[in-house]
Amino acid sequence: MIPVELHPGAATDVGLVREVNEDAYLVAPPVFVVADGMGGHDHGDVASRIVVEEFGKLAEQGYDAARGAEAVAATLVAAQLRIAEYDAEHGDPSERPTSSSGSTVVAALLVEQEDGPRWLLANVGDSRIYRFTDGVLDQVSVDHSIVQELIDAGRISPSAAAEHPERHVITRALGGTASGEADYFLLPLVSAERLLLCSDGVSGMIDDAEIARILGEHEDPRDAADQLVGAAVAAGGRDNATAVVVDVVGLGDDTPYDSDAQRVSLEQKLGALP
Amino acid sequence: MSEMSTSSGWSYQAGSWFAVFGPQVTVLLPESERERVIRVWATVDEGGGFDQVLDGLLATGLSSLPGFVLLGAEGGPTRVLLRGADVTVVLATGDGEVALDGSASATWVEQSVDGVTGVRIEVGADSSDDVHFPITTGLVRVGRVDRPAVASGAAGVVEPETAEEVEAAVGETPPVFEAQAEPVGAAGPVAEAEPSDDAAVALPGTDVVGADAPIPVVTPSAEPAPMDVPAADLPADVPADDAPADDVPADDAPAADPGLDLQPTEQMPPVSPDTSLAASELELPPPLGADPLTDPMPPQEPAPSNWVTPWDPPAETAAPPVPEDAPAPEAAPVEEPAVEEPAPEASVPDAPAADEPPAPAYPPPPVDGPSTPPPLGIGSWEPVGGFPPPPPAPDTDHDGLTVGGADHGQVPPPPGIPGQPPAPPVTQPVANLMISDGQNVVVDRVILIGRAPEARRFSSTEQPLLVSVPSRLHEISATHVEVRPGTGADHGSAVVTDMGSTNGTVLVQPGLGPEDLKPGIAVQLIPGAIINLGDGITIQVTRP
Repeated sequence: MIPVELHPGAATDVGLVREVNEDAYLVAPPVFVVADGMGGHDHGDVASRIVVEEFGKLAEQGYDAARGAEAVAATLVAAQLRIAEYDAEHGDPSERPTSSSGSTVVAALLVEQEDGPRWLLANVGDSRIYRFTDGVLDQVSVDHSIVQELIDAGRISPSAAAEHPERHVITRALGGTASGEADYFLLPLVSAERLLLCSDGVSGMIDDAEIARILGEHEDPRDAADQLVGAAVAAGGRDNATAVVVDVVGLGDDTPYDSDAQRVSLEQKLGALP
Repeated sequence: MSEMSTSSGWSYQAGSWFAVFGPQVTVLLPESERERVIRVWATVDEGGGFDQVLDGLLATGLSSLPGFVLLGAEGGPTRVLLRGADVTVVLATGDGEVALDGSASATWVEQSVDGVTGVRIEVGADSSDDVHFPITTGLVRVGRVDRPAVASGAAGVVEPETAEEVEAAVGETPPVFEAQAEPVGAAGPVAEAEPSDDAAVALPGTDVVGADAPIPVVTPSAEPAPMDVPAADLPADVPADDAPADDVPADDAPAADPGLDLQPTEQMPPVSPDTSLAASELELPPPLGADPLTDPMPPQEPAPSNWVTPWDPPAETAAPPVPEDAPAPEAAPVEEPAVEEPAPEASVPDAPAADEPPAPAYPPPPVDGPSTPPPLGIGSWEPVGGFPPPPPAPDTDHDGLTVGGADHGQVPPPPGIPGQPPAPPVTQPVANLMISDGQNVVVDRVILIGRAPEARRFSSTEQPLLVSVPSRLHEISATHVEVRPGTGADHGSAVVTDMGSTNGTVLVQPGLGPEDLKPGIAVQLIPGAIINLGDGITIQVTRP
């Protein structure tokens, strides 16, 4: 595997309205996850935590880098089972089936293919994965939501989606009765110098232009994550906001100067260098 | 009485239009603009200013909006925008009236007027009811709105004994009757002695609730109005007592603005402490405001039940606050000192709200009038009944916003190329690709070839393979072509699809001339075929 350095940064905030932060994230290179819990008797935080724990095991135990999607699928199944178990133990049987807790998930992990490492991305629900390359922000994941389906069907414009009354209704989730099937994406590393994984508390509060501006202004991924979450809270903070920013450093594509510059900046920030 | 008045006291008559009364501005929209109403309501209710609301109103363009009225003052002259046929606004000032007609302009009519003392807005072809309901903020169906609030016979009437109770509680006997006396005169300044107003006063409201009681999210605070309605048998008597003392001729009305402004507003509170409480509290953050759990997002919550969970039976969330029964009118609310009303709210702990739908635990006070309720005010859901409505579906709540839609919606569109069968998972090798840069790839799954290929929206069983090829001149697109095992008629062989490449793909099949691939159209590959991507990269197809 080509040696690749990943520089992550992450931030989360409960926001201004919610009492509990039901978002969870994992930064365990080369595995990165954001999960946005929902529902059932404020057990959403449990659901998202389960998801993150399962991915933590994946990162800890390692995985067959050539069969990443299968590994992720198995992880998602495990998470779904655990959420269902938790629901069975703690849920109120008299509740409707939709009362079960659940979680979205976006995950990014490195996998190996014949000619080098790639990003394998997985998405269930309406948390998002963006890539930011050469100053251009590109939403990679496709929301599993009612409004996304309406957009795909050409019935509403993407700009109308932000105001659509059903914009918070998702069609897939881990846990509950919704489908937990993930969409997968494979990206060459060079096409994703910087990845952003975020909950809808970020992408729903600030628009893509603002996200791009913040990602462009902050070279350090930790700063970028902080600023994204800060901006989402400043914009109203109606939801838990979580952002994980991952920079890919040390690719052949990078000039040594760039790589050095980024490393130096990190070390300077840590105080290791003057 | 004057101290209780507010400058934002409105009254409305039921109709087909929506009216949103906010702290800063008032917006009226036609029946067809329900979606827009919902959006605008959030802005208006949060105290959005004139320009902010206008922006929201026109966010999707003017042409799609058949009519509207936007009115606001914001400390300066009263500004009004109106558009559409059957839309008229009359602004009363000390110098007379300014009448505006929405159909007078193809775009809209705008006017700023200083010193406005009264406003009357009529929308829709008919104003069906004669009853004026007081409102401070909220969302209702209207045919006409007035400011200051016009007392209708219904709104202004109180049964004597009830009135006395109220007075006892409030300690303001005179205002009650005074207020009742005023309506006739008060209607004048606004409506300038329009006969219909008098008729409204004289006629008890019988058909208050249009069939279209609009949006099913309502709370008890909306009910004071209905309960007053039926008791409309007094206007003739009561005014007679006090009218002489305080009667204001209609002609003088405009000049008597302060008084008039106060009186009509005043007459609402005495009628029912509940109403006054509602009116005053609506102006303020609800007592629960400090509790993020029970009061998370005011603009979102009162939305129609299908706002968040269209598949949920609306009854679960919307119905409870609207009691169908009609207990003794007024008795319940009046006997409960208004002061106590907020108490239950304040003591509502977080836990119950989170653990169960609060509505059943806090049944709204059974104060409904004998008849069906009038058009209900969304905005008035907040405080009076002592409890805000639950989030529409607390149990599918997702950070308060996102909800899972298990059984909702269609199956998401299959990933891959639209119009083609989904790519099969890994299969037996059906072909071998010899790429001119030396790579050799077996086609037993989806293969994506390009300068920096990407695979999007595939399932965990698909396991696509990304094959990068060099392209010094960037003639090859990032994801240029896809080769995968064919299905159906193509079963057993490979098919190639141009993925919308910039410079196209040329296919040469054995015995055939070169063929430009059409983006998104799969073509079966015969062993011996050659795929040319440009930039010197060709792919030869061989048997596996």
